[in-house]
Amino acid sequence: MSTNAPPIQRLISELAKLPGIGTRTAQRLAFHILRADDVDANGLADAIREVKERIGLCEECFNLADGPRCRICLDERRDTAILCVVEEPGDVIPIERTHEFPGRYHVLGGALSPIDGIDPDDLKITELYERVAHSEVKEVVLATNPTTTGEATALHIADGLRERSPAVTVTRLASGLPVGADLEYADEVTLSRALAGRRPA
Amino acid sequence: MPATLKTDAIVLRSIRYGEADRVLHLYTPAHGRLSAIAKGSRRAHSRFGGRLEPFFRLTTILHEGRSELRTVTSAATLAGHPRLREHAGSLDAAARACDAVGRLFETEDPHPGVYHLLANELALLDDDPAGATLSNQLAFRLKLLLAAGLAPALDACASCGEQADLVAFSPAAGGIVCGACEAASFALDPAAYSFMVGALGASLAAAPAAPMRALRQVERAITELAEHHAQVRLRAAGSVLSAPG
Repeated sequence: MSTNAPPIQRLISELAKLPGIGTRTAQRLAFHILRADDVDANGLADAIREVKERIGLCEECFNLADGPRCRICLDERRDTAILCVVEEPGDVIPIERTHEFPGRYHVLGGALSPIDGIDPDDLKITELYERVAHSEVKEVVLATNPTTTGEATALHIADGLRERSPAVTVTRLASGLPVGADLEYADEVTLSRALAGRRPA
Repeated sequence: MPATLKTDAIVLRSIRYGEADRVLHLYTPAHGRLSAIAKGSRRAHSRFGGRLEPFFRLTTILHEGRSELRTVTSAATLAGHPRLREHAGSLDAAARACDAVGRLFETEDPHPGVYHLLANELALLDDDPAGATLSNQLAFRLKLLLAAGLAPALDACASCGEQADLVAFSPAAGGIVCGACEAASFALDPAAYSFMVGALGASLAAAPAAPMRALRQVERAITELAEHHAQVRLRAAGSVLSAPG
């Protein structure tokens, strides 16, 4: 039986549900929150409440949004002719950090994995086909992860787009060696793709 | 006491774990199915590169510490199967093959035949991704059942031993049954029977063809046999990925 008062125990239990947080860490965080001043502790509670109440999915691209449409879809300076398809909202951030992509996004909400019961109907793939068919999109960049499930998703969508919107160019992010990596450690699939995708120096 | 284990292995599954790690399900020739953690393997500069993705056949060194999970300390590629990864149908077939192995052989008991069967199936899909047909997948599953000691009885009625009038399949009896014993069974076309006999007798590459109706009966026979005798539910064969329409 726990020696903590029920409210403390409840906080520990809730924190321990977070990914990567075990009971010991949850207990440390709970005591930190208890020691924190009221403004900080209530700020954390308010932030959690606000994010749950105000954040939903953009009705156009399914990225996270604090209104009907996300900030990227609302930005009229973005190029509407090019669409980047990613698995999760978190994948938009690293692409935005490059400042190289001028277009808009489409967030699938995961990757295909029939083994895990994730079929095309579980993702925003039909919505992507509709969006491409009824807009001025000229190029779709498939930026799913270069994992087995990400590759399967990209191949499936590429087939679907070629069938439904043959005029649209479908591209895939290049595969190759990360900057600063050693050739010695490169795996054979990555290295053979890097060789196949070589370009004039 | 900590030790290291050097073994060949096929990556059945790779599960994201924590910030940058992966938990791998590996199938080995001498140690059956093992789980291992590959720390930092999701980082772009990881020394493992992409070789811990499913379907890679590797030589690995695993550290056995106090935890139940071993730790991958080294991995060298034996076969990466790059062509298999360029087609949705072969990717899906490979995933289903690995899933079936992981479900039917989930212990550390050695089954070198299963390891080699899976290695052959992946090599076959890599050589010819168009070979990811339903008949190929069902032939692979029949051979897996054989390795598990669950091969369907096909030479005589599995209930009474009668050798004529074999018209149905009974998962409970473990094979085909005659007209007199067909209670709790389902009808089996002669083409489905021929497919099972042919697939068990031929190499994977020479899996026979059969009409779709017969293949569906074979799939049902395999699935219900595994369910009844091994309490394992196999995922459906076939692919939802190669048919985008």
